[in-house]
Formats: sequence, structure tokens, C-alpha cells
Amino acid sequence: MIRVMLSEFIKIKRKLILFLIILGPLGVIGLQAANFGLRYDWLTSQYKEDLWRGLIGEVTMLSVPTILIGLTILTSMIANIEHQTNAWKQLVALPVSKMKIFAGKALLSFILLFVSCLLLFFGTIILGLSLRFGTAIPLFYLLKMCFFPFLAAMPFLALQTWLAISMKNQAIPLTTGILGTIVSLYGTGFPDWMPLKWPWLVNEWDEPVYSVLFGVATGLVLYLLSLIDFSRRDVK
Amino acid sequence: MSELIIETKNLTKKFGATRVVNHVDMQVKKGEIYGFLGPNGAGKTTTIRMLLGLARPSKGSIHMFGKDIRKEKLAILRKVGSLVEYPSYYGHLTARENLEAVRVLLDVPKSRIDEVLSIVRLTKDAKRPVKGFSLGMKQRLGIATALLGNPELLILDEPTNGLDPSGILEMRELIKSMPKEHGITIVVSSHLLSEIDQMATQVGIITKGRIIFQDSIHKLREQASSSIKLTVNDVEAAWKTLLSNGFTTDLVQNNIYIDNGTDDHVAAIVKSLVEHDFSIYRVEEQKKSLEEIFLELTGKEGGLL
Repeated sequence: MIRVMLSEFIKIKRKLILFLIILGPLGVIGLQAANFGLRYDWLTSQYKEDLWRGLIGEVTMLSVPTILIGLTILTSMIANIEHQTNAWKQLVALPVSKMKIFAGKALLSFILLFVSCLLLFFGTIILGLSLRFGTAIPLFYLLKMCFFPFLAAMPFLALQTWLAISMKNQAIPLTTGILGTIVSLYGTGFPDWMPLKWPWLVNEWDEPVYSVLFGVATGLVLYLLSLIDFSRRDVK
Repeated sequence: MSELIIETKNLTKKFGATRVVNHVDMQVKKGEIYGFLGPNGAGKTTTIRMLLGLARPSKGSIHMFGKDIRKEKLAILRKVGSLVEYPSYYGHLTARENLEAVRVLLDVPKSRIDEVLSIVRLTKDAKRPVKGFSLGMKQRLGIATALLGNPELLILDEPTNGLDPSGILEMRELIKSMPKEHGITIVVSSHLLSEIDQMATQVGIITKGRIIFQDSIHKLREQASSSIKLTVNDVEAAWKTLLSNGFTTDLVQNNIYIDNGTDDHVAAIVKSLVEHDFSIYRVEEQKKSLEEIFLELTGKEGGLL
């Protein structure tokens, strides 16, 4: 599996994928910098009890749709590396199991998104410090708010990976992903069983961990199903 | 009987109700260049896809190196290099990076990249992005990728498709040198008989999903039933004279044809003509070209074997 990942990382060289990984968190932090810069007084009076929590909350508002659209574009770009010259036939004819090939693609998306979330974590700290919110950073809460939405979005990562890999025409996975992102903007109003609500970490028990658990469990199931589908499918 | 590298039994692939590959029994011996010949859409690529584990057979079995592909696919694929139809490559990467992406999967030493690059003569262009390569160079890179894992069997599907004459010549020389220099068995498919004729030692002809001929290229040439053409002065009279002397010949367009005549038979006819004072201008052997045999075989929709 290490060899598969090495190969995957060689293949994304000189692609815009790495740029995208930085662009996502950079965009979120940049927009919040503008937001806080323009209405500093009003926002600080809104969040005067806990400035850091206020900032983190604002960041999350933007990070959820960014994660969804980001994973859509990311999975599509990763799959497209193989689609472009139909390199699947070369890849699958190598002595590597199809399961590992699929797992490699999914893991690559996971790792890259993880890095994005990590950048968001540090970006938020830098933004908070430069806004002079003090050094009493609620690190654990920040960590939760950076990584929980990502983990709760696992069903979408699995779904988009599967769509992007099994269809040559990337218009379909991109459309699904973009529609999903738009619908998710209204996610907080949905019933609890709706996967699009999970990344917002809101549920009737008021326990964000539940959303994460639902997300990870459903994500794993979807991932296993697509893994089986991919390994049974004939390669064009 | 030499060792069989590939042996398929009743290999069948259905797409819906149509059998694209229909009960194919393919046998490839070690060290041969097996030419897999058939018109477009005959089932060549589908058969090759099944050999490479890209598609699952609907029915039948595939044994390669004596192993069942259903049970030991990865062990088989480790010994196989392949190039299927148009070359696959990662355009944004250089030739060397393309090979590196495959090398880490195969776990062969780094030095192997330089070796395969020099075999296909791409050493000079190794640092250029592949999207700027000509089709011939991309095809050669495909061969290099196929050779990377030191394969014992090389499966090439239409390797000369879309190449210019010099590219075709280059590819052919490359393919022909493999069994000699590296002891590799090769399966090469093509829809062009002349291609196969110039490199293969064994031939399998497939049409409408069925193998209609499988033997050495010499056997295929022997199928070219030869006839002797005689050009004489008074054709009609000569033909009648021959008939009255007990020789059945064919009269076509002012020429006399002797089908499948033995040397003695031909000599007797010539002697008889000379004795009856006919002037014999020419005695020629007429051989059907492989092209004609191929058309004859494929035209009869597999009713031959």
C-alpha cells in the first residue's frame, strides 16, 4: 500500500491539486480576515464573551461548503489523471490489486483534505492572533471545529470518489458535488438523518460527536460498497 | 511440444446477448511471436483485456504460465507487460516520472528505468513532459513501461496503430528483437496481415469472436494453394488436346491453369503439349497472397474450422 501511495504522489506532481489544497483554507481565512477587518467593532461586540469561539464559529460557516466543494473538485481531478489517457487499463494490468488501486485514490483524497484542515487550523490561529484576540486559544475546540466537519463529510468523500472514478464524464460527479454543496447551505434545517446536515455538527442531542460518528460509519459503508463495485467492474 | 505460456479454453465474453468472444481456445508457446489477427471488432481487444484481467470472462478459463488467472491473477500479471490500444501516459509528467510512477508499483530497481529508456531509445527525451511527445514516442514509452517489470510475456494490442511508416518499421524491429535478446514471448494483435506476416512466428486468426485459424505462419502460407499457369499459342486447341489426352485443366482468360498439380503431372502436361506442337510461352506458378487467404478465411464467417 505504501508503494501505491508513493505512485499516487508522483502522479499529482505539477498538477493544480496541491495548489487547491492551499487555496481552500487560504480562501476561508482570507474571507474571514476581510469579514472581521470590515466589521471589526460590530463582530467583536457580538462575540465579546468569547472572541475566539466567535471567530471559530464564523470560520466553520465557510469551511463546511468549502470542504464539500473542495472534495468534489479534488476527487474529480485525481480520477481525471487516469481518465485523460485512459491509464486505468495500464494501471489495472499491473500486479496491484484493484482494491488497492481504489483505496489508494480514496486515501490520497483523504490525506490531502486532512492537510487542508490542518492548514485551516493554523490559519485560524494566525488570524485570531493578528486580530489581537489574545493567546487564550481554545485549542481543543478549534481542533474539533476544523476536523469534525471533515470527518462528518466522509459519506460525500466516498460517494464523490466512486462517481469520479467510475464515470469518464466528469460533468456528472461535478454536478452532484456542486448541487450537494448548495443544498448543504440549508443543511442545519434538515432532519437529523440527512447526511447533508452532518458536517454542520448540529443534531437534536447537541452532541457534535454523533454527527461525526454517523458520517464516519456511513462513509465507511459507502466506501466498502464502491470498493467492491470497482473491483468487479470491467476496465474499458 | 514446448511449454504453453497462454492457454485459454472455451473463453467467452458476452456483452448483453452478443458473444464478442466465442469459445476461443488460444495457445501461445514460449519464445514465439504470436500474431493475433482479425478485422476490426472481431474480438481481439476483448480477448486481450481478459488475458490482462481487465475484463472478466463470461465463460471459459485462462491459464497463463500454468496458473489459473482467477486464482493467481497478481502472480501472473507480475510476469506480463502490456500495451493496450492507444498508449496510456500521464501527460503532465516527464517520461522518466511516468516510468517512476509505475516502477514504485512494480518494486524493481531504479536502474531499470535507464535500461528500458535505452531499449526504446528515449534516453535523450526522458526529461520532457510526455504531452509534447509524438505518437510514435508515446507508443515507445508505452513499450518501455511494459518492459519495466522484466516481463516474460509481452502483450501488445495494435502497437503500430496510427504510426507513420518509419514508426511502424521501428516498432516492428523492436518487437522482433525481443524474443532473441530478452527471451520474451510476445502476443501482438493487428488487423493488418502484412504486419503480422513480417514479425509473427505463430498466427491466430479471429473473426466474429471465433478463432478460425491457429498454427505457424508457414502453415498459413501452405494454405495458399498454388496453381500452374500456362501461356500457349492456341489456347483453345491446346485445352481440347489436353482433355482428349486425359488431362483436366481450366481455361481462364486465354490461359490454362493446372490446380494442385504435382511436379510429374505438370511435366506430363508440358510434354504432351510439346508433342502436339504447341508453342509454350510461359509456365508460371500462381500463389495466392496471404491477403487473399485472410479474406477467404474471414469472409466465410468462421465456417472453415
